[in-house]
Amino acid sequence: MFKFKYKGAELIVAFVLSLGMIWPAYATSDAKAVDKAPVKTKGSSVDVFDIATEQDKKSTADHSKFKELQVDFKDGPAVTKACLACHTEASKQLHKTKHWNWDYINADTKQHLGKKNVINNFCTSVPSNYKFCTACHIGYGWEDENFDFTAEEKVDCLVCHDTTASYKKLPGLAGHPNYKTMEWPPHSGKFRAPTDLKRIAQNVGKTSRATCGACHFRGGGGDAVKHGDLDSTLTNPSRYLDVHMDAKGLDFSCAKCHTSDSHEVAGSRYQPTAVDDKGTFIRGSKDERNAATCVACHGNVPHDGEYEKMNSHTDKLACQTCHIPAYARGNKHTKMSWDWSTLGEMDENGKPKKIFGSEGKVLYDSKKGDFTYDRYVIPEYQWFNGEVEFTLADTKFDPSQVLKINSFKGNADDGKSRIWPTKVFRGKQMYDKGNNTLVVTSLSDDKETALWKNFDINKAVEYGMKYAGRDFSGQVGWIETEMSWPITHMVAPKEDVVACHQCHTENGRLAGIDGIYMPGANNTPLLDKLGFALALLTLIGVLIHGAIRYFMHKRGG
Amino acid sequence: MAERIYIFKRFERFWHWSQALLIIFLLVTGFEIHGTYSLFGFHAATELHTTAAWTLVALWVFAIFWHFTTGEWKQYIPTMEKVDAMLKFYLTGIFTDAPHPFKQTTVRKHNPLQRLAYLFVLAIINPLIWTTGWFYLFYDSWESWGFGWLNLEWVAFFHVIAAFMILIFLIAHIYLATAGHTVSAHIKAMITGWEEVED
Amino acid sequence: MMKAVVGFITGIVFVGLVGWNMADVMMLREVASPYSVEETAARIQRNIQSLSANGWTLSGLRNPAKAVANSGSNVPPVLLIEACSTKYSGPILKDDATRILSILMPCTITVYKKDDGKTYIGLMNAGLMGKMFGVGDIMAKVAKDQETFVTFDSSKPAPPLIKVRPGGGGAGGKDADGC
Repeated sequence: MFKFKYKGAELIVAFVLSLGMIWPAYATSDAKAVDKAPVKTKGSSVDVFDIATEQDKKSTADHSKFKELQVDFKDGPAVTKACLACHTEASKQLHKTKHWNWDYINADTKQHLGKKNVINNFCTSVPSNYKFCTACHIGYGWEDENFDFTAEEKVDCLVCHDTTASYKKLPGLAGHPNYKTMEWPPHSGKFRAPTDLKRIAQNVGKTSRATCGACHFRGGGGDAVKHGDLDSTLTNPSRYLDVHMDAKGLDFSCAKCHTSDSHEVAGSRYQPTAVDDKGTFIRGSKDERNAATCVACHGNVPHDGEYEKMNSHTDKLACQTCHIPAYARGNKHTKMSWDWSTLGEMDENGKPKKIFGSEGKVLYDSKKGDFTYDRYVIPEYQWFNGEVEFTLADTKFDPSQVLKINSFKGNADDGKSRIWPTKVFRGKQMYDKGNNTLVVTSLSDDKETALWKNFDINKAVEYGMKYAGRDFSGQVGWIETEMSWPITHMVAPKEDVVACHQCHTENGRLAGIDGIYMPGANNTPLLDKLGFALALLTLIGVLIHGAIRYFMHKRGG
Repeated sequence: MAERIYIFKRFERFWHWSQALLIIFLLVTGFEIHGTYSLFGFHAATELHTTAAWTLVALWVFAIFWHFTTGEWKQYIPTMEKVDAMLKFYLTGIFTDAPHPFKQTTVRKHNPLQRLAYLFVLAIINPLIWTTGWFYLFYDSWESWGFGWLNLEWVAFFHVIAAFMILIFLIAHIYLATAGHTVSAHIKAMITGWEEVED
Repeated sequence: MMKAVVGFITGIVFVGLVGWNMADVMMLREVASPYSVEETAARIQRNIQSLSANGWTLSGLRNPAKAVANSGSNVPPVLLIEACSTKYSGPILKDDATRILSILMPCTITVYKKDDGKTYIGLMNAGLMGKMFGVGDIMAKVAKDQETFVTFDSSKPAPPLIKVRPGGGGAGGKDADGC
């Protein structure tokens, strides 16, 4: 409760103490009890399926009564054709979205982005690996570069509108679910029954945390791997994990914030909104703003009473910085680093191996190299103004430096940046040593050149680069990389926000962030030394003066 | 033979002691906010510091009103007369029980050194602590007041300098309170209002 | 006389404050761990099992953070590893004078994460507490074993976490009933 940081201060405080200052037994905690927001309860716990049926009850259409859906569908596109019979414009709308195109041009930076173009430091690149990657494409049959992006029946309605939680697109099937019995996971001895398309089609409904999460919780190839603030614990979260999505409380779906218009969904990681100073986003507003910001609902001055002072922090901090004290809080471990350079090590029988850690997660995989994981991760904080510059396939870089796959722009002085919590994912990955560029690697293709077939990284890169039509020097090197992800989900209840003293202290959370002055962070060490030294000298001076008086008086009288 | 005179009126005594408590409390919470130690916790310290500051503002409004209506403000008019005698007294005379060079009366209750010290408080320390404190409190309004160019670092820097000055003043002030004709004479006067003055 | 009394009281208050400051440091010990919470806990479990010759068995693994999460709020990960050795608990439990010390059983080691993102291990100062409660001889041995529990061999791979139900028999043997 009472700890001195400077030894010299003890004397002074002891002196003040001796003045008879008796302090009250005052509450020492920073995080004071806050009135709990009223929690709406629905009686029983709600699982994914219940949510869906509840939505269906509200709908004016019972899809199971439609003749078009009372047939045995042979495959996904057949279902889509049936959907399009009524929802005639749906595919045309989706064809314009980046969910479909995986292609995006940032109007501000002019960079050509999108999933099929960027290279990251997870599985690195899509081309030559389509069949696997497109398990998360909202279409059917994208297995090579010849995919027809104008085909209406190839849009996958079910992956987003399924309410039965039984629709799964499996890696390797180019965006199709399994229509026949199939062993899954591979070599596990477990089998998945054919997908019941009729039942699923008759039970379509609104998107849900489960449908969005089918891809977005599993980014990077597995649950919780990529984002850190998105994982399957958000399918049915409790209040502590996400105060908005709390299944027994506010029960937000993703679409509550990520509103959509003609299937175009609000929010972007290519062009994020780092600062929203426009206040609440009123319904009917013609403003072309991102509807998925905190401010869009909460406004610019959301704190009052005891926490009113927090409004003064909004010129420097993103809401997320205080309101998301840590990510991966749902007890799922998120991947923190990936070192590809160690891949290919075999066990004593010459077979690919996996080594598991105490958490039960794979720490080493012959196919992929070394991993590290963490949960309840304290974010790394960065100034961010919303501009992201990517290292693209043709960007040349200096291989002696750690390469930023995407760098977040912004600083204390540009007037449009805020301090953001981020997950920084660190990797070591293959690059073209001759050209100093990132490479496309064939990982999972059927061909013998694929890395996960023959464990030969040179062949895999050579084939990948040829496939992508890019110049390759023939030399593969390893480059250390960093990729930043803004943390914006898993918003904690207000009583769990980052407490004042976690930043306002020496070596607090924001230590190392420049351009800000934080009381309590030992900002003026020189002034403090000087000030306390003078105070101490004064004290010693008067004590000596007093002592002389005392002795002189005694002698004299 | 000692004569008793009534020096400090009731309001004045109330002002002095409540101000003393508030200033000590502001120092304790202020240095916690500054990061010197942790006692109440950062958040509680900021709240308490702000509340105490507003209380002191209110007290000052009354005190200023009182000083002007009673004419007591004249007590603070500085003078250089006998300053050297005062200094000499503190440096030598006080040790040998020499007579005090200044004779306290109801119309001149502060000795010349006191007057200078209080002038320093009024003219230097107070403007510094209040201006910077005010800016600290109204951080959100800088832009609209035309102070957008200001930065918190300098405001805080001068606030802390002023705080150190107050701390040093406090130490000296408390010690000199014992420098009456007996150790407790001045302190008693500040409590009862009555000072014993030597003829 | 008055001065002496005031000085004496001030002295007592000062010493009291210093003592108050030190008390937690003396009774409990915190050491940093280079591993994650799970791996630290798993390695401690292995170290406990390695001293089965001294009677040590695992008697529980608790996750108090989970209970807090279930009630709606957040705390960083904490794992409590409970271990017990009847060789040490037996003599303490036998004697009426020391039986009350069963309140400190089983021997608990806590592994947790702090706001700096690092993992820490919390231990009781078994030696000092033993002396305080008059069972110094036994607790000195416990303290020595505790050192072994938190000394890690980084050349060994990360072992899986052993999920022992509190109070139930651990992997160490069926007699580990939480002592």
